[in-house]
Amino acid sequence: MKKEINTKNKDFLTTLFKEYYFKNLGLLNPPIQMPNREFGFMTFDGKVIRHLSFSKLGSLKAYIIQNVPSDIFCSNAYYQFPTFPINEKGWKGADMIFDIDLNDLLLSCQKEHTFYICSNCNVVSRDYINQCYKCHNTTILKNTIPCFRCITSLKKETKNLIEFLKKDFGIQEKNLEVSFSGNTGFHVVVCQDNYMLLDSKSRSDVAGYLMGRNLTPESFGVRNDKGGYRIKIPLSGFSYGWRKRIVQRMKIPVSSDHLNKFIKKIGGYPSFKNEIDKIASEIGVKIDPQVTTDIHRIFRMVGSLNGKSGLSKTICYDLDKFDPMTDSCFFENDKSVDISINIPLKFHIKGKKYVLDKSISSVPVSVAVFLISKRLANVANYSS
Amino acid sequence: MSIILGKDDLAKYPFLEEAGTYVRESHFDLDDFNRSEFLHIIERASKRIEFALIQGKVFMDLEKYDIELFTFLVSLIMMKYIYEDSAIKKFSLFEAIRVERFLISDLLKEKDLRKKNLLISRIFRELFQLDVDLDTKKNNLFKMNISNYLDRATQFNEIEWKLINRAVDNGYVYLDVDETVRLIRYEIYKLMYNKIKNMNITKIPEQIRFHATLIKNKLIPTIKYTKNTTDLPPCIKKALEFLNKSENLPHSARFMLATYMLSLGKSIDEVVSLFQNAPDFNEKITRYQVEHLAGKKGSQTKYSVPACSKLVNENLCYATIDCKGITNPIQFGRNRK
Repeated sequence: MKKEINTKNKDFLTTLFKEYYFKNLGLLNPPIQMPNREFGFMTFDGKVIRHLSFSKLGSLKAYIIQNVPSDIFCSNAYYQFPTFPINEKGWKGADMIFDIDLNDLLLSCQKEHTFYICSNCNVVSRDYINQCYKCHNTTILKNTIPCFRCITSLKKETKNLIEFLKKDFGIQEKNLEVSFSGNTGFHVVVCQDNYMLLDSKSRSDVAGYLMGRNLTPESFGVRNDKGGYRIKIPLSGFSYGWRKRIVQRMKIPVSSDHLNKFIKKIGGYPSFKNEIDKIASEIGVKIDPQVTTDIHRIFRMVGSLNGKSGLSKTICYDLDKFDPMTDSCFFENDKSVDISINIPLKFHIKGKKYVLDKSISSVPVSVAVFLISKRLANVANYSS
Repeated sequence: MSIILGKDDLAKYPFLEEAGTYVRESHFDLDDFNRSEFLHIIERASKRIEFALIQGKVFMDLEKYDIELFTFLVSLIMMKYIYEDSAIKKFSLFEAIRVERFLISDLLKEKDLRKKNLLISRIFRELFQLDVDLDTKKNNLFKMNISNYLDRATQFNEIEWKLINRAVDNGYVYLDVDETVRLIRYEIYKLMYNKIKNMNITKIPEQIRFHATLIKNKLIPTIKYTKNTTDLPPCIKKALEFLNKSENLPHSARFMLATYMLSLGKSIDEVVSLFQNAPDFNEKITRYQVEHLAGKKGSQTKYSVPACSKLVNENLCYATIDCKGITNPIQFGRNRK
């Protein structure tokens, strides 16, 4: 959710975003088949502009420099007529996209660095609020500054997804694009011909597969039978995909006898089902299924700035070494800006630790852009 | 050495190109069906149709290829004459099941790998553009790429067809014979249905018309569920809509519909009659199953209507705003005035 920000902050971010695009236009990564994609933009006033098309990277860049949007999106779909209304665009296929977001990981540390912010007066609370205690506004924004543990968990989940995609779906490395979203997650795009034409229902099945949903004991040849159960090991065995993962986790040698003993020991068919569900939800990838299922989504463009953080959506060539707070931060540290902090904060940017209290502080531009985009600070004094 | 399908194969798969070529090359004229020596073929075609439409059974009798090819042709012409859409759908489904059974049996029994591959190639690849391979290194399982699988499997509502319940490896889904053939049942059904619908015959031979009329007169008129359905939950309404259109309902939907109707206090006869339009309706089997659900057969357990959460999982939920707050379809409308 994005609401209009105050004029001073808006002017500051517009200036800095424009400067970024001037200096870093080369980082904008044009999608393949660019003329067939729909482009969308969000303005600093919170307006969404969709159904645009650019046949050349030059005209896209010119648009960006001229309009300085807070966010830039590009469709995962390929259309015959990208500028037409959605039902008349002539869908020709879509990249398969995955979003791994901090909100879906439910980490215990998240509460420590999540803030609830009034969209009207920017009052910040560490505790959940559904109404601003100062202006009584009920539109509350939720913002998180990911900590080291968050980033590590996000990377682990992304690797889990990549492993599933490679091993089970046969996706080749060259057809996988992994990037930091610019805020609190990672995006994975699969651009492989045999998955391009999958409809929404099929993609929903793919999402369910990755998340470990709806795995049945019958898949293992275990059938509910008059309150008991019977076993007939499937011809396709337990050597592939989910069956292999579950059996390995349960440490059951593959035979009817061993499986029977195991099921008997844990309490029959219902307990076996619960055990499968439990393991599947542990091993399954925590993706946002709505993103994967959407075949008309406009997805953040690589190389563009995320208006919710001022960080860039950046391709991760080496996920292990990738540090979002450094590698996605393209603003300089050589100039200072006076900002008023809305709440005491601790965080790292570009390898430096910052501890700010609730007063006016002089911080590098990179920090100011980050905190103002996050609605955790306001510009007090800045001259470009 | 090249290998071709034998005439016995054409008898089982009369929709293949070679079968059409054989009929065309025999210089046969439709009027020939008015001759007495063709009467047994017409009677055989009548029997094949009656098996499906009246007895609810699959006609598995197999004769010499020329008799089979002409019987198939005549039964299609008869169905064109009978014309009723629900009957054509029902016949097409039973024909699909017949093909399915022959195909499963052939793929299981055929020892000659080249012959087996030829069958796979002709039916799966050429006819239905489904790229299937036999993986001899993996237990003779059939493998197809995931997108091909999903294109077909997502038509089924049963949870067993979800990708997660399949053996998936390196971009492929591995299936046994039954599962592979089951995957194309709908396509065989469509093939049959379209063959009948698209048939263009200016004059149907008298002898065929006569026998088709006899069958038409025996057909039970399509039952429509006429009760005011505004008080029914949307999941039940949807299932009835499917039945009224003679569409095939998944087992889970039949279970839901039958248990729901029984919970309303409907009699066994009333519930059985609801399924009369199902393309694979068999009164004896349906009656047994409904009695079983009502607790009058088998374990004597009366089955409950599945909870909304289960119906959501089975893709049978079509919730509307009126479903707010209910956890089982039987609660639908209770608080509404």
